[in-house]
Amino acid sequence: MSVKKLAIASLVAAVLTGCNGDDGDNGIAGLDGLKGADGANGVSTFVKRQDVLTTNANIAYAVYSDSLITAQNLRDDLAALVANPTEQTFAQAKDAWLASREPYGQTEVYRFRSGPIDALKEDGTIGVEGDGKEGRINAWPLAEAIIDYVAPAVNGSAQGDVVISGSIITNAADYPTINKDTIADMFEHGEDEANVTTGYHAIEFLLWGQDLNLDATTGDGGTRDASGGQRPVTDYSMTACTSGTGTPADVSVCTRRGQYLLAAADLLIEDLAAVTTAWEPGVEGNHYANFVAGGDESLGLMLGGMGRLSFGELAGERINIALTTNSQEDEHSCFSDNTHRDIFLNAKGVQNSYLGRYVRVDGEVIEGASLHDLLVVEKNHELANDLRGALEKTMASAAVIDTKAKTGVPFDNLIQQSVSQPNVVAVIAALVKQTDQIELAAQVLNVETADLRDDTDQDI
Amino acid sequence: MIMNQSFSSLLGHKSKLFTSVVVVGMLAGCGGSDKKPTVQPEPEPNPAPVKPAKDHSGLTPLTASEIISGEHLAGGAVTSFIFNSEAFEQRALAVAGNFSQDANFTAGDHIFRTPHDGMGPLMNAASCQGCHLKDGRGVVPASPVEAMRSMFLRIGDSQGNPDPVYGGQLQTFAVQSFTTSDRDAGLPKAQGSINGDELYGEAFAFIKYETINGQYADGESYQLRKPTYYVKDLSFGEFNGDVRLSPRVTPSVFGAGLLEVIKADTIVALADPDDSNNDGISGRAVFVNETMTGEQKLGRFGYKSTNPTVLQQSAGAYRGDMGITNSLFKQEPCTELQVACLSVAEQETTVGEDIDITDRELALVEFYTRVLAVPARRGFDTTTEQWQADVTAGRTLFFNSGCVDCHTPRHVTGEAPGSLLGEVMLSTLLPDAEPLDYLANQTIYPYTDLLLHDMGGSCKITRELADGASCTSGNSCMYVQRCEGLADDRPEGQADGREWKTPALWGLGLVKTVNPKATFLHDGRARTIAEAILWHGGEASNSQKAFVNLSKVERDQLLSFLNSL
Repeated sequence: MSVKKLAIASLVAAVLTGCNGDDGDNGIAGLDGLKGADGANGVSTFVKRQDVLTTNANIAYAVYSDSLITAQNLRDDLAALVANPTEQTFAQAKDAWLASREPYGQTEVYRFRSGPIDALKEDGTIGVEGDGKEGRINAWPLAEAIIDYVAPAVNGSAQGDVVISGSIITNAADYPTINKDTIADMFEHGEDEANVTTGYHAIEFLLWGQDLNLDATTGDGGTRDASGGQRPVTDYSMTACTSGTGTPADVSVCTRRGQYLLAAADLLIEDLAAVTTAWEPGVEGNHYANFVAGGDESLGLMLGGMGRLSFGELAGERINIALTTNSQEDEHSCFSDNTHRDIFLNAKGVQNSYLGRYVRVDGEVIEGASLHDLLVVEKNHELANDLRGALEKTMASAAVIDTKAKTGVPFDNLIQQSVSQPNVVAVIAALVKQTDQIELAAQVLNVETADLRDDTDQDI
Repeated sequence: MIMNQSFSSLLGHKSKLFTSVVVVGMLAGCGGSDKKPTVQPEPEPNPAPVKPAKDHSGLTPLTASEIISGEHLAGGAVTSFIFNSEAFEQRALAVAGNFSQDANFTAGDHIFRTPHDGMGPLMNAASCQGCHLKDGRGVVPASPVEAMRSMFLRIGDSQGNPDPVYGGQLQTFAVQSFTTSDRDAGLPKAQGSINGDELYGEAFAFIKYETINGQYADGESYQLRKPTYYVKDLSFGEFNGDVRLSPRVTPSVFGAGLLEVIKADTIVALADPDDSNNDGISGRAVFVNETMTGEQKLGRFGYKSTNPTVLQQSAGAYRGDMGITNSLFKQEPCTELQVACLSVAEQETTVGEDIDITDRELALVEFYTRVLAVPARRGFDTTTEQWQADVTAGRTLFFNSGCVDCHTPRHVTGEAPGSLLGEVMLSTLLPDAEPLDYLANQTIYPYTDLLLHDMGGSCKITRELADGASCTSGNSCMYVQRCEGLADDRPEGQADGREWKTPALWGLGLVKTVNPKATFLHDGRARTIAEAILWHGGEASNSQKAFVNLSKVERDQLLSFLNSL
């Protein structure tokens, strides 16, 4: 990604900077704020629907660009680890993975709207849901048993169906070469969607290994400790190769593990690059252009993505299932115990979309016309304020589990009974509440939140 | 909520068009006795006015010659327009447009494709999706040495009883195949579990195919592959002396929620158990026990119509296929004689009355399965409202060849009550679930009558060594099943060993898009749709002959039609 392209994105965004939706009653500054509902009294809150779409598209480009850049940084650190496996390079590689998740988590609000992440075809055009590479980039739970050694009976399941003998890393006979084609071919092998072999979580597993903390479901009644997976750096050693602490392995296994790691990074970069290109501003006929020109249909999909991520994906699948099953396997980033960041960043992405604001990895702020502004301009001050408040409440709740995790109680501990489940429940409740407000916003803006294009095209 | 409004307007529009359909040509009823392809007779000049006939659903009957408006919407309002490899895993549009229903779908999807704690000890797969690959069909193993993963053999005796040791189905794996990196760890081992201290999968079944050559009437040849089923490595000793086996490939699941709510009386109206109309076709409706209510309800699910509801079918599969006990089926998948299985089950965290999957999770999977949308027909230009010519011609052949006498094209759904388990909320289950209105009162095109039909054939089970020599016992003495035709010779529920429920044909043309390795018929023996037709026998013999007698052009037209479903 060239610096020039990024500069264009920032430039476009900068032009739109400065909108603020304070109505002087319920807005950001409350009654102390200036009346600015229609832009007629000196405060620039006037935005058009297309302005909101433009900002949303600019943020998409920025946040996918950041994901791509940090994935490339990750690749460099993984290469350094493989070339010279020391505790230091190992730690750097893990840090690079964690850093790469920061922007990516904020991209997920661009899912569920027939955008590039879900629908980009190999030829660069937009198809339908499922044509895209989202699964290959971020699918979970991982099929760790297909990739590398696993400990038996961890949490009841090693994931993935019985497909191959041994694992890709240990089975050199059937898989003589490990490159991005190998692992891409094995993704959803046998059409079984449980066979996830690629993406962020494959790299995560190869860095951290299984999280073998005590698990309430194993019946030993213990409480999990605060650590993530315990893969030793010797799993990459060219002199004393292991497959887990204390389990010596042939050096070829460590070589192949390193190849897998780099192959997963290469594929991730390739997939992220394709999505980023589709969001590149100033390209005739690409998704950026079509989305910005898409009018109310685009606005509806934008709100639909926000709602579906908030409720179904985040509150439901990513938090509630882990909570109700008390299962580490159902935890998003279960190897690294980074799930608190996934939650926080996913929620942050929704807030970004609403406020029309994104802080890039390098600190640069992308800001522009927001949904909030639009609601105010279209005389829905109260809803604008309620939705803003609902998103803030979610972020505040997510900040609690984020802080607890950072201070020693990770998400896989929080979901245990008698620990801090109320903190987790609070995030779910806030997300549900904000989804109600998003739905109301779609109603007052009179837009459809699901993709009805195919159906409405037809004269049934 | 936002969607509901637009839906009702869409549907309102559609129903207006339905009622305005002009009936032209002859009002051919289903079930004419002449199964040979016939030329549509010219209408009589000045025909006497006739009262328009009604079909089983109370609608104006479909005709061979005219495709009516809306036929491309196979699932009514629950139709999807995604035709890629994820064509079978799409949510109903009404679900996509409602954030809380969307959340239930997403959660149900997660549970559907994720292995569950407490699985096994004996099992065929670790997740629903592990067999219903991408919510589509399973596959037959690629070779005789590969274990069956998305198919299995049912087992029993000639009277329809389960095997006293092995139960009702052969579970190929023990749980360690799914909890370690060693997929072979839980595969069956001859006599391996007989002492009760080690658990292995029950038995290893494999298939060998023999090529059968045949010829269409126009001289073009075809090849079918005829399966022989072998069972070896019986971990718990011999089968019962009167053993019967029935191989099953996993069917697809989308559209099940619509099939579940087709009005039962309209299905019964299609039945003709004594063939009183002498058309050689005697579909039987069967009534089966609904576990949760004790009521007798129309059997709709399972290859032999043994289950009345999506919930019961799902709960049965959880227990039988995955070893996940639930409130409908609380017993671990072990018979009383399988000590090794029972003792491993005791080590699960959920034992005895503690079930593996909660009602809320089960209700989520039920919801997910019920609202999976049916792909729209292809071959229809939505702008011009024109069908491809070969699809139109093929449809006429499908009607005139008598295929529609079992593969009833159109049905109307009735009310669609919510789950018997309750209304799924984010973290709880409330009593008295709301109905799923978007499944109700839909005109749908599944191409099945949901009845049992005698498909002909017979089977024989022998004991053989690997070299084919006869044997009577011992670890290398395999069970071998050879069948003529489609019969499995294993009675199940109220179906006999030659009867099968007519499967729905919707989505047929996308089966290989979703999974290029997928094949057709109950045991996956047919590599193509044409082969599947050629295997039809029994009550379908006349239709099969009609197909054989078609010209090459006509056969291609018929297949174009079937591929557009």
